[in-house]
Amino acid sequence: MIVGLSAATMQGAPVVTQDVDLWFKNLGDQKMSAALQEAGAAYVPPSTNNPPMLAGTGAELFDIVLRMDGLGTFSEEIKNCIEVPLDRLKLKVLRLDRILASKIAANRPKDKLTIPVLRDALAATQSIKRRTKN
Amino acid sequence: MKRRTPPKAAAARWATRLSARVERVLALHPEADRDNVRHTLILLEQPPLERLQRSLIRGRATAILQK
Repeated sequence: MIVGLSAATMQGAPVVTQDVDLWFKNLGDQKMSAALQEAGAAYVPPSTNNPPMLAGTGAELFDIVLRMDGLGTFSEEIKNCIEVPLDRLKLKVLRLDRILASKIAANRPKDKLTIPVLRDALAATQSIKRRTKN
Repeated sequence: MKRRTPPKAAAARWATRLSARVERVLALHPEADRDNVRHTLILLEQPPLERLQRSLIRGRATAILQK
């Protein structure tokens, strides 16, 4: 599932980000290793000084997320995602309101900068959805 | 690929429509920032992956400039 500001930007939030945060149900999944290998990348398990990472060509843009501040478990939050079509696939993307909830809970200086923007983007997207429904 | 510049009349119609949509959002959420709402509505006209690509290009360029 794509989370963080990259997920927010896919839903229209006018924010910038340096990487795509990925939240996996199971980091040891064999399908994940196969997919990474196909992309010329590999999973690097956590060590004393480093968190779990993806390494290799094609993986530079991606970061691994183990948990999200203020949110439930992966199994709970996967229910709160939207699906974005990509060729034959459908990307799971965490919903904007859940990203905002996580940023509010984390409340780091960099989160504080994005909270008002995410809040306004959510207001705009919800207004559009409401209008489309009516 | 070079993007075609829209004709002036079409651009003016688009700007008027956008402005009306911004006002509708602000009527429901008066606390929202006008620029944030306008940028969101403009971005929503792009496909999700293009939005992501733009965000990454700008984010990474900013990071390089800060180094």
